[in-house]
Amino acid sequence: MLRQRPYLLNILLLLIAFVFSIALGAVFIHPETILRILTDQLPGINIVPDWPNSFSAIILAVRLPHTVLVAMTGAALASSGAAYQGLFRNPLADPYLIGVASGAGLGAVIAMTFNWPTDLFGFYLIPVGAFIGAIVTVLLVYNMARVNGMVPLTTLILAGVAIGAFASALTSSLMLRTDLQIHRAMSFLLGGSPIAGWDPVIAALPYMVIGMGLLSLSGHMLNVLQFGEEEAKQMGLAVDRAKIFVVVTASLTTAVAVAFSGVIGFVGLIVPHIIRLLWGADYRRIIPLSIFGGGSMLLLADMLARILLAPSTLPVGIVTALAGAPFFLWILRRAKKEVFW
Amino acid sequence: MLTITSLQVAYGAKVVLKDISLDVSAGEILALIGPNGAGKTTLVRAVSGTTPVLSGQICVDGRELSELSTAQRAKVLAVVPQARQLGGAYSVEQAVMMGRTAYMSWLGHENERDRAAVQLALKQARLEDFAHRQIAQLSGGEQQRVLLARALAQSTPVLLLDEPTNHLDLQHQTNLLSLVRKLAREKQLAVMMAMHDLNLVSFFADKVALLVDGELKQFGTPQEVIQSGHISEAYQTPVEVVTHPETGAPIIFPKGVWGNGEEK
Repeated sequence: MLRQRPYLLNILLLLIAFVFSIALGAVFIHPETILRILTDQLPGINIVPDWPNSFSAIILAVRLPHTVLVAMTGAALASSGAAYQGLFRNPLADPYLIGVASGAGLGAVIAMTFNWPTDLFGFYLIPVGAFIGAIVTVLLVYNMARVNGMVPLTTLILAGVAIGAFASALTSSLMLRTDLQIHRAMSFLLGGSPIAGWDPVIAALPYMVIGMGLLSLSGHMLNVLQFGEEEAKQMGLAVDRAKIFVVVTASLTTAVAVAFSGVIGFVGLIVPHIIRLLWGADYRRIIPLSIFGGGSMLLLADMLARILLAPSTLPVGIVTALAGAPFFLWILRRAKKEVFW
Repeated sequence: MLTITSLQVAYGAKVVLKDISLDVSAGEILALIGPNGAGKTTLVRAVSGTTPVLSGQICVDGRELSELSTAQRAKVLAVVPQARQLGGAYSVEQAVMMGRTAYMSWLGHENERDRAAVQLALKQARLEDFAHRQIAQLSGGEQQRVLLARALAQSTPVLLLDEPTNHLDLQHQTNLLSLVRKLAREKQLAVMMAMHDLNLVSFFADKVALLVDGELKQFGTPQEVIQSGHISEAYQTPVEVVTHPETGAPIIFPKGVWGNGEEK
């Protein structure tokens, strides 16, 4: 029972955030009504509608797909952040801070310049571009940041920031050169879903399931890697295979999040960190808990993004950065005092 | 048990271990000694598979290690790394369980045998009372016992230790080495350890290998190897060796210096 409690708590939080994310908007829809409308959709259940017809339309066509996408994005960023932290043995690794998100963004935009998504097929190409961008970036950053087999905090963040900035600059210039709509482009760069409706959800879902599913399986490898590659090998872990597995799955997961929701920072940093503080360092738990926690956290940020300057909406990446940057500095100060592996 | 034949190791063009041949039997402790840079750690790393070998063979019970997979090797040979500050938020039990990696599926699912091996290793390393403590909160000596227990959990016939007593005080040095000797005898482990402290070596080792500049200069019992001539030459420092009146173990002193450090 004790082992399951963190999961139950995180699932409960996610459900609450999920319902409230659907409730909030130009028209507030009562959570109870939402639950009734959603239940009504289940096969075999027919509830006599006591709500305006427009509510069903708003929820099913707009708010539900948006909420699902945001939750998936948060889950993907948090779980891949946790995996990068384990892989680099560095608590400050985050898909955004180590430049992978920007690299994925560049890959996605390159894919878009060839084929700005007008159909579902176009959608499927964007994550592929983002994936390639993410993998290239992570390999560059990893190799540049590596000193004597370790990836120290300073070189990791410096390499990540430099390569991330380079990728962002390329992305911006590409966007200005092509006829992508500038508003869409900006919101993409700042982290805000540029596309509405179910299409991005459907396109992202298979990658998300595969990426996060595989990440959830990498917990033991990441645990063993915390002792260093040399000792991990002596304990019998096929280190190179494990590293490739984690890099590929974490980059895939990040890439899908970026492809459909833009570049959003700090979720991958904050969520695993809180989970580690509360429930310990076992990556077999950190990764699945980060999936749930990341969903809740980004939903919360997204709600704030919609409320703060209502009726206009902030890109959610701005909210996560506003909350995340101070958090990052706090961890940085703590990290100086602690001894890591 | 562990047999090393004509082993050569090179870093780039520089040969750092030249033609090393050694053997350790079950139940026996071999200490590797020699000045800094003589190749002790390199030899441990070569045997553990961390450093690639240029030529020669390393066999355990006649099976050549280079032909084994990472997991197979980890079932034959376990390594206790140099003492260092351990961080992270794992419990002692979790850390020791990681020693079972080679026996688990890649998902890390532990079964009854793994749990039994971990409990046994915790008991052997005298860590039963610490099982649920966080390793970061333990003292240096206790942390080193965690690394020992992790290696014991690998249930291997061969145990390598790389300067296991560095940074430990006298009490923890003696405790750890007594424990290793007891385990070597009881479980019939073949133990090879790189060591700095020659007096500890002479008390705890059955065999001693003296390395200088990557070459094996002496190989034999402590009495044979720890002699003033061999040691003075190897370490380029005059030393005096006397014999312990009860155990017969050689005891070593720097020569030409009084007890207070003044020149004679």
